[in-house]
Amino acid sequence: MKTAANLNFGEKVVISEIDFTHPSSKRILEIGFTPGQEIELVNRSLFHDPLAFSIRGSIIALRKNEAASIIVS
Amino acid sequence: MIPGKAEKPVLAALVGQPNAGKTSLFNVLTGKSAKTVNYPGSTVEYSTGNILTKYLQNHTLLDSPGIISLNPGSPDEKVAVDILYNHPKFGSPDFLIVVVDASQLQRHLLLVKQLQMCGFRIIIALSMLDTLIKKNLDIDTNTLSSELDCPVVRVDSRTGKGVPQLIDIIKNLSLQNDNLLKPATALGDLTHAQLIGIYNEIERVTSLVINPADDVEPGHPNLARANSQLILLGVQRANNYNECKKLDANSLRIDKYMLHPFWGLISFMFIMALIFSSIFWLAIPAMNIIDELFGFLASESVLLIGKNIWGNFISDGIISGVGSVMVFVPQIFILFFILGLLEDSGYLARGAMLIDKPLSKIGLNGKSFVPMLSGFACAIPAIMATRTIPNRKERFLTIFIIPLMSCSARLPVYALLIAYLIPKESFWLGGIVLLAIYVSSIVFSVIIASIVNRFSNSVFKTEDNSSFILELPTYKMPKIKNVISNTLNSSYIYLKKAGLTILAFSVILWILTYFPNTEPSVPAGNYSTEQIEEMVAHQRLQTSYAADLGHYIQPIMLPLGLDWRVGVALISAFAAREVFVSSLALIFKVTADDATLQQSILLSMREAKIESTGQLLFTPATIIGLIIFFVFALQCMSTLAVSRQETGSWRVPVIQLIVYSGIAYILAFLAVNILRSFGIN
Repeated sequence: MKTAANLNFGEKVVISEIDFTHPSSKRILEIGFTPGQEIELVNRSLFHDPLAFSIRGSIIALRKNEAASIIVS
Repeated sequence: MIPGKAEKPVLAALVGQPNAGKTSLFNVLTGKSAKTVNYPGSTVEYSTGNILTKYLQNHTLLDSPGIISLNPGSPDEKVAVDILYNHPKFGSPDFLIVVVDASQLQRHLLLVKQLQMCGFRIIIALSMLDTLIKKNLDIDTNTLSSELDCPVVRVDSRTGKGVPQLIDIIKNLSLQNDNLLKPATALGDLTHAQLIGIYNEIERVTSLVINPADDVEPGHPNLARANSQLILLGVQRANNYNECKKLDANSLRIDKYMLHPFWGLISFMFIMALIFSSIFWLAIPAMNIIDELFGFLASESVLLIGKNIWGNFISDGIISGVGSVMVFVPQIFILFFILGLLEDSGYLARGAMLIDKPLSKIGLNGKSFVPMLSGFACAIPAIMATRTIPNRKERFLTIFIIPLMSCSARLPVYALLIAYLIPKESFWLGGIVLLAIYVSSIVFSVIIASIVNRFSNSVFKTEDNSSFILELPTYKMPKIKNVISNTLNSSYIYLKKAGLTILAFSVILWILTYFPNTEPSVPAGNYSTEQIEEMVAHQRLQTSYAADLGHYIQPIMLPLGLDWRVGVALISAFAAREVFVSSLALIFKVTADDATLQQSILLSMREAKIESTGQLLFTPATIIGLIIFFVFALQCMSTLAVSRQETGSWRVPVIQLIVYSGIAYILAFLAVNILRSFGIN
């Protein structure tokens, strides 16, 4: 299963679902990561965590662990 | 306006996502009447202001911290959400002005939809349209208004465009006398499926309202318009919508360096170095000027009033007290100004992202970064700023270590102690010592945080999901005018809050050192007036209340090589650490005749001896011990009070007080005695 946590730099993918069991899943949805949206990994911090994604025209930084709840195809 | 019907005063609240432009709009609408309680890094408290009377009468506007949804993720968001339902002072707002960033329409409409579902009456203020127009796109506000069934106004806070229209709508709403719906609280927390459903609906709306820029102005046919008519409507709309989502190319380019594994770290270090060196290069010279000014005022007032109780009270009690408050304004102002610049430019979010991983290793969060930086100005706003940290444990740990950050009140103390240690000629050495103190305060805060983190379950008794989700805003040139006005505001609030306490304490301290023996008798003899004055002052202090108090704590001061006089100064430093300096001045009865306050204190310090043994009181060993004591000791009542307020119980502040005073005392004791055993005295 591929998630947003293991994207390559600059890779564009479409979200297929969100893992609702992750404690941050509601905030992840609220901030705009919903199934069907295209995301791109635009930046990585030191130690490659947190990751910054482009979503709905904004750049959002998430921890790797949170990005792992975003399942992509 | 309907004749004969008066506007009734309304309460409106500004709501919006972080970075939507709420505060700019707030400033435009309220002008100078605004009472902002913002600290850089976060709008942690509500600001209220009256809408300018040139627009409307008696209408109150609330500004609030940014929220992403009605389901609060952190304490600052909870405050913002709660107040929409019921403000403790103003009641519930009559309607909300939701600021929506047009260039982030989809994400910002989530809050709009949620507010409407809860039954709030709203007006949408569309901001940042210029960003969208740069992409050659525009928003059809009429369609947006009819789709969402609420008024939509285009506003530009910079030029004031759209503000009159917004005022007209507010006016109309204030004329309606209908009973308002009571918003339903329960709807705040939506299910996963509901959230996805709302976004689907938002996508439908945005695909209808985002058009090529020229399309919204009818009667101007152009190529884009002609083309759009040729292409299938659906395809064109999808394209508009994708164009709208394009990221700001500049921000991406800058982030290539700012978030780069190597250059990102270098620029982070560089920015931090810049902040701290500004303290040495800008704050210290400014401090010296203030110090000289108040030294001059104190001596002038004695000459003016005479060497009696009133002259003494005015110069030593009041003027020195005010001076000790004013002297740390430079550091506070400079730090808040730089933080404001960094925040406005968009860098602070990147800084938080860069440092999230290392901080999470010691139980903190990237969002602890801004509060910790503010801690170098003052622990009080810094502790308040931790409200942006969602996780309770991480928030409490951040609060726990903030008192270790070298706040501005410590600077005058260090400046005095370092000046004693190091001759004036080699001032660069003093700079290095000061830098070493700052660096070690950071190093020790890391060590203490990681130790406390080990025991965090028993210390804080709380545990929840650790999270770091943060929008990285578009880089932009900071608006200097806004930053300066915010900085002035923060400094002013700080002065009002801390200044009065410090002033009150200086007066109390003056009373303790002056009474009960106000006119002591001195042995008759062939003395000069000056000698008599000195003996009177000495005798008065020896028999004062402060001396009684000091003798109680003498036993715990002696192991540090210090006596009751320093003990009194340390106790009085609980008002604010800075008071230590003015207490020393009072206790050693410094006569500020010609030199600056600092120089005259130094002079008396060099001659002071421990009465019982006749040893010199201030030696390099005891001064180093005092510096170490000040690095760790939590000597600030206001910090304890804010820590109590923000953690909800006395538990954390009491542990902080015990731990930090304990470490301070033990390390100072060790330092003094080890140095002495090496023959340094």
